[in-house]
Amino acid sequence: MSFSDSIFWVFATTAVVPAFLILFTRSIVRMAFLLLGSLAGFAGLYLQLNAAFLGFTQVMVYIGGILILFLFGVMLTQRSDIPVREKVGPALAVPGFFAGLLLMAALLFIALQNPWKTHPPVPVTEPDTPVIGIKLLSTYILPFEAVSILLLAAMVGATYIARVQAPGAPDGQAELSDSNAEGRLE
Amino acid sequence: MPDIKTEEMLLNMGPQHPSTHGVFRVVIRTDGEMVLESESHIGYLHRCFEKVAENNTYIQVVPYTDRMDYLCAMANNLGYAQTVEKLMKLEVPERAQYIRVIVTELNRIASHLLAFGTYGMDIGAITPFLYAFRDREMILKIFEKLCGQRLNYSYVRVGGVTFDITEEILADIQRFCDYFEPDTIKEYNELLSYNGIFISRTAKVGVLPADLALSYGVTGPSLRGSGVKRDLRKDEPYSIYDRFEFDIPVGTGEMGALGDCWDRYMVRVLEMTESVKIIRQALADIPAGDFCDKKAFRGVKPPKGEVYHKIEGARGEVGFYIVSDGTTKPYRVKARGPSFCNISVLDALTSRGDCMVADMVAIIGSLDIVMGEVDR
Amino acid sequence: MTWSPILLDVIRAVLIFAAVMTLVPFLVLAERRISAWIQNRVGPNRVGPMGTLQPLADVIKLVFKEEIVPARADRVLYSLGPLLSFAPAAIAFAAIPVGRGLQVVDMSVGVLFVITATSLAVYGISFGGWASNNKFSLLGGLRSSAQIISYEIAMGLALISVIMTTGSVSLSQISEGQTSFLCWNIFRQPIAFVIFFTAAFAENNRLPFDLPECESELVGGYHTEYSGMKFGMYFLAEYVAMIVMSAMVVTLFLGAWSPGFALPEGLLGTVISVGVFSFKLFAVLFFYIWVRWTLPRFRYDQLMHLGWKSLVPLAMANIVVTGIVVTIWDAVQ
Repeated sequence: MSFSDSIFWVFATTAVVPAFLILFTRSIVRMAFLLLGSLAGFAGLYLQLNAAFLGFTQVMVYIGGILILFLFGVMLTQRSDIPVREKVGPALAVPGFFAGLLLMAALLFIALQNPWKTHPPVPVTEPDTPVIGIKLLSTYILPFEAVSILLLAAMVGATYIARVQAPGAPDGQAELSDSNAEGRLE
Repeated sequence: MPDIKTEEMLLNMGPQHPSTHGVFRVVIRTDGEMVLESESHIGYLHRCFEKVAENNTYIQVVPYTDRMDYLCAMANNLGYAQTVEKLMKLEVPERAQYIRVIVTELNRIASHLLAFGTYGMDIGAITPFLYAFRDREMILKIFEKLCGQRLNYSYVRVGGVTFDITEEILADIQRFCDYFEPDTIKEYNELLSYNGIFISRTAKVGVLPADLALSYGVTGPSLRGSGVKRDLRKDEPYSIYDRFEFDIPVGTGEMGALGDCWDRYMVRVLEMTESVKIIRQALADIPAGDFCDKKAFRGVKPPKGEVYHKIEGARGEVGFYIVSDGTTKPYRVKARGPSFCNISVLDALTSRGDCMVADMVAIIGSLDIVMGEVDR
Repeated sequence: MTWSPILLDVIRAVLIFAAVMTLVPFLVLAERRISAWIQNRVGPNRVGPMGTLQPLADVIKLVFKEEIVPARADRVLYSLGPLLSFAPAAIAFAAIPVGRGLQVVDMSVGVLFVITATSLAVYGISFGGWASNNKFSLLGGLRSSAQIISYEIAMGLALISVIMTTGSVSLSQISEGQTSFLCWNIFRQPIAFVIFFTAAFAENNRLPFDLPECESELVGGYHTEYSGMKFGMYFLAEYVAMIVMSAMVVTLFLGAWSPGFALPEGLLGTVISVGVFSFKLFAVLFFYIWVRWTLPRFRYDQLMHLGWKSLVPLAMANIVVTGIVVTIWDAVQ
């Protein structure tokens, strides 16, 4: 096994194992920590594929932005590690079981049917960042702008939700949620 | 629309907390950073001052008064001594009166310096604290020379003061005044009072309206910060305060609302200047003569009766109510401590829903309490 | 890929890491001595000549302190907290050129890398604060997560205008672009400099933005419950992050390792460039210390106001102006 192969397995394990562990964890904050590991593993895989810009953006947006907002919400709403799992009755468990089975079958089917192209990472001849920038603002301008509008709408909506308050509620709370909403844009 | 609920949290500030200025506990109900309600718990330093006083002679009570407001012990001594003197209808020698005024005002400056420094620290500025201690040290050195003590002086006694003040000490005090005012106070203002962040932290925070302050019995700089011009030194002059020229600084609301933390803070800074003014006048006029009534020093035995007397301490009105049954020990001593009354307004200030955890600290600091006196 | 270039990378990494780690104790000492000087005190001067061995004594004390894990704390996260705080800060230094051509990794996306790494530091604080099972720590963790993501946005936006001016996200190219004095980005992007520096204070939890730990309200904030070397790690992380941020300020705005004129070729030039870089780094660090011992602390909502209502819009306006100027400049040329 070459050095880069072993590195691949390290990243792949980091990406997959925590994802499994999340299912068996009881504390939300620990789940967030495991998710952090998983996302970091994926970022590592991007980096190994010489997609440095994508890798760091993944870390910055998902780990540095979104996940921390999860954590923020959890910490603000839930004081101690109250178990998140509750007893589930058969009315929920039976359909849930079948839905899960179906989803797993579908995923397996797709995974096994797909002709995966495998080739070594493309060597980088020039910095990829300008290329990505130019592509985003020319070839992919439409999706790029669509996403911008979607995010803008989300931001306006979130601000609206935060503004609607019980009379006499403190102002500072509005600020807090406000910043939350804008943080999502990142 | 679903209401996003955040969980409320009970936060126990104290009894061991860096910003409660002593052993004081506030239980606050918070929603994130907002304080919804607060409840103060006092009594951790209770030492039965009033009961102890009943078992000691009038002279022996003096050291206990030191330990009430230990940052302004001279004022407590003075309040107690004057109450007993009023009971005995005792006239104190002229020189002793002047010495009392000088040391009380010096002690007021020392106490306000500490309030200034710790308030800066509460707001997050550490350097003003050390500047204040540097200058407070000069006063403490003077007191050390005067009576051998730095904190619990027991210097003002029934009938006069313990030791005479020497020329050397008077010169020291003069030197301190020249050093302190106006240059050092100007330095303080530049460093802290008019700092933008400091103003934004204290202006419009913990607004104490005058009527609320009066209804809770708030006195001293905290009351004057709300714009009420009440100072016993001017309103009901005791000792020889009617002989001096000085102003009563009151809050103006110039940085935000009248009676906010900045006003209370600024009143203290301005009062230091006024105290220096008084000291300078007293130093110029101090007569020669006795520094005590020798007879009172040998023993105090007031006639039957009861009396209440109050003076202006660094934190407000220090009052003593003494009932005498004609023996050498008081039948009953009741102390009215300014910190105790001032702290009672805290819950009202912080439970209005507009206070954040950080404001809590700013408000406690601006009330300038001494737990030793709250609990007694 | 063969093993020898990897070995070389490791050696370089260890060298830079060691240099930063050695810098930290002296920075702590400098902080204590400078604060003492500001406050009319003497400061530590007993251990070693002029107190130079004081950091060593501090570390020995920290190592031998008992480590206390609070009851009902989340032990795993509690132990991971300091590590998560320290590691990203230490990694970030890898991309910063400390002299002409002296860099562990010359990444094409160096700016992004450093910002990403420093943004991870928030996890150490949040997890540590949450895992301590202490309400003050929790509040500290909450504050830091809100604060760091808020100021990261302002910082990122300020960076965008710098990147637009320099036309590169590689730190080595940005440094190369500032060899002549007038090309320093502080002159080309003064507003971005102010925003970035302010945000850097907030990212590092330094006064006037030290809300996550502020001792007067939250006792010690997120590290209230920590003791011994775990606390030491947080302490270390704070200072390493400070060095990284200062190095970023120097690299991005203050002309990196350039003294303002062309350096001689060869080894001499490289040595001078390292010297110049260090000098600038210390100047920025001194500024950090100076501010800390002079200013009071913001309140939480004021911090958010400053971040969202002043810095972010200002940075956005700056981007627009920069865009127009850059386009016109390109058209003229």
